[in-house]
Amino acid sequence: MRARRGLRPGLRLVFAREGRQLRRRPFLLALSTLVPLALMALLTAVFSAGLATKLPIAVLDLDGSDLSRTLVRMVDATPDVSVAKRVGDLAEGRRAILSGEVHGLLMLPRDLERDVAAGRRPEVVFFYNTQTLTTGNLVLRGVSAAVPAAAAGIRLSLRTARGQPVEAARSALQPVPVQVHALFNPTLNYVHFLLAALLPSTLQVVVVATLAYAVGLDVETPHRLRVLRRLGGGLWPAVAGKLLPYTILFLMVLGAADAVLFGWLGLPLRGSPVLLLLAGVLFVVSCQLIGALLALVLRPVGTAISIATLLTAPAFGFMGIGFPRLGMNAFAHGWGALLPGTWYLTARIDQTVRGTPLDLSWRPLLVLLAFAIALGGVLGLRLESLRRRRERASAPPVPARAAP
Amino acid sequence: MTGVLAAARHEWRRIFTVKPVFSVLILAAAIYAVFYPQPYLNEALREVPVALVDRDNTVTSRAFAQRVAATPDVAIAMVVPDLLSAQRAVYARDVSGILLVPQNFERDLLHGRPSPVALYADASYFLIYQRISGAVAAVARGLGTDVEIARLVGAGVDPALAAAATDPMPLTAVPLFNPQGGYATYLLPAAFVLILQQTLLIGVALLGTLRDGAQAGAAARQPLRARAASVAGRLLAYLALEAVILPLYLVVLPYAYGVPRLGPLAPIAFFAVPFVLAVGGMGMVLAALFRKPMAVQLACAAIGLPFFFLAGFAWPAEAMPAAVHLLALAVPSSAAIDGFVRLSQMGAALADVRAQFMTLWSLAIVYGGLAVMMNGRAPMTPGAEPAASP
Repeated sequence: MRARRGLRPGLRLVFAREGRQLRRRPFLLALSTLVPLALMALLTAVFSAGLATKLPIAVLDLDGSDLSRTLVRMVDATPDVSVAKRVGDLAEGRRAILSGEVHGLLMLPRDLERDVAAGRRPEVVFFYNTQTLTTGNLVLRGVSAAVPAAAAGIRLSLRTARGQPVEAARSALQPVPVQVHALFNPTLNYVHFLLAALLPSTLQVVVVATLAYAVGLDVETPHRLRVLRRLGGGLWPAVAGKLLPYTILFLMVLGAADAVLFGWLGLPLRGSPVLLLLAGVLFVVSCQLIGALLALVLRPVGTAISIATLLTAPAFGFMGIGFPRLGMNAFAHGWGALLPGTWYLTARIDQTVRGTPLDLSWRPLLVLLAFAIALGGVLGLRLESLRRRRERASAPPVPARAAP
Repeated sequence: MTGVLAAARHEWRRIFTVKPVFSVLILAAAIYAVFYPQPYLNEALREVPVALVDRDNTVTSRAFAQRVAATPDVAIAMVVPDLLSAQRAVYARDVSGILLVPQNFERDLLHGRPSPVALYADASYFLIYQRISGAVAAVARGLGTDVEIARLVGAGVDPALAAAATDPMPLTAVPLFNPQGGYATYLLPAAFVLILQQTLLIGVALLGTLRDGAQAGAAARQPLRARAASVAGRLLAYLALEAVILPLYLVVLPYAYGVPRLGPLAPIAFFAVPFVLAVGGMGMVLAALFRKPMAVQLACAAIGLPFFFLAGFAWPAEAMPAAVHLLALAVPSSAAIDGFVRLSQMGAALADVRAQFMTLWSLAIVYGGLAVMMNGRAPMTPGAEPAASP
């Protein structure tokens, strides 16, 4: 390499070289920016509604009375469900559920109104498909709101018919009412819950795989690591210069995702934006270090990328969003604790929807910092051992010489 | 015909000798089978910790708290004197909810006035919220019904009539197909289909980009019939491979994990054929598009999760924009997850999943045709096999 006048080895030199590399390899650039953005856009499009409303159910009305018609009307009026189909018998209803046309079947028995008036307590049965927990719980919520409300109306009229004043009757209906306050996500919006966790999880896979590839390119060519170290004038400036362009690119991608989440989709930011940014930086850096380490330990680079995918693609389940970590077995809990994404999501949820006070917000950030330091340390050790191996391999054999 | 069989035999041998392909198609599938279900194996969330703020401190309030603690869903982890310390515990994730019993709870109950309780439940994790709110609401309803019946009986009403008056039209909710609402039972049948797709997709695409010496030179300008024979032969090899792996994933694994299967085996096997053909075809198209094995691996690394949510399983298709739903149909896993889950978990007949079956066949034909047309393009890594760098 010809030394240019005034060009000093250091971080900036390595950074500039990596920047040129990126421009020369458009695939790598696209991988760091377009691929995660496209995946995030796809996920955002899927969840853009935020709430699943008007899920179809079928009704089997064997009574046909005023009460049953009122009941069906009340069920249709709930935001969660809509009465999409009237069936004539159970078999037809079962077929509708099996084919996916409806998510549940509400069955109103024969002589419903008459039996209710006579105090025979006829059962209204709701068959619902719980193979998919999301839709099952949502349709159940809708029907569970409508049918007891109708029953409450009946109970109210029974009492007022016996002469009890309306207010007293109404308050006697539920002796122990529960005021349920849903903390942090009162509308149960799936964007704030699921999408906000899916986007960083996708980024985790992309960062680890991309860095395994980027560092792997340098590891494969014999002298490149030494060149990088010379350019950087040392181990740490070289590492920093190599990783920094990607850090910036990925933080920009994260920023774009956040802009959509906070700006368009209304995700609240009840905590500290500084802590959120800090957590984001530590998260991206930790994922980069994992990818780089994989490339330094596993050869060829294809294997490093395979292992990177193997570790990060199933990671979403371990991060405790769909199924919380407090319910997991020991292995899953432990493995989840080793993923940077778990701690980043904890910090994110703390600062976005929860608004955790400052003194309680530090734990996930400290863990991420420990990850970055520990991974950086292991990376340094590995690079040093690689260098020593190279020097031993290229050093001329020392002739055995007897001491004079 | 011999061309097809020869291509099939050749591809079959490549599956086991080309290292990256073997590690994706077989090793990765084996690892995911054990690794992927780990977080969900406990199936249900039990004993979710909540904090109790009991401002009443009477016999009735303690009885209420005991009833809540007795449910398998909720555990009273701490009793705190005020709401503020309970809030801190929620922020610190020591508890996931606060149950507040106000002063005069017992007095109001005895006097026949409504005596409310407040529940603050963590809704930043939906499963936690559902568990806690469902359990506490059920306990309060039970206590309320007991109290109301006691009041009516005390007022001289016949007990049977009292029961009828408090609950004249009971709603019986019958959960079908996953009655205990187990998380693994819900997720694993769909997740296994996705893992099958991803491993097969990446494996086939790698086979298509890592060309071997026997076919490298000849691939460039072959007549259509030879190309079609090559594609058909390769698809046959993939069918043979998946004939072993697919039953393992969709029959043996669920059995091992305690996930029940309602449907018989024959419809599942029948449904699997267009699925494997569609994924194989899609893999060959990806191989022709990307041309380098590294590009395939990197592009497909993060796409599993978006494919899963596109399928309309975890998030209902009715809630997706129509354009996205249409795009989802281009991915075999969308129709496949829907079909397989209905066939195996819900005991549906093939007639019930006719639409999904037809979708998969259409995809198989389209992707297969594209693969034949694009098969003529020479890959970028001719020569010996697992050279991984592009």
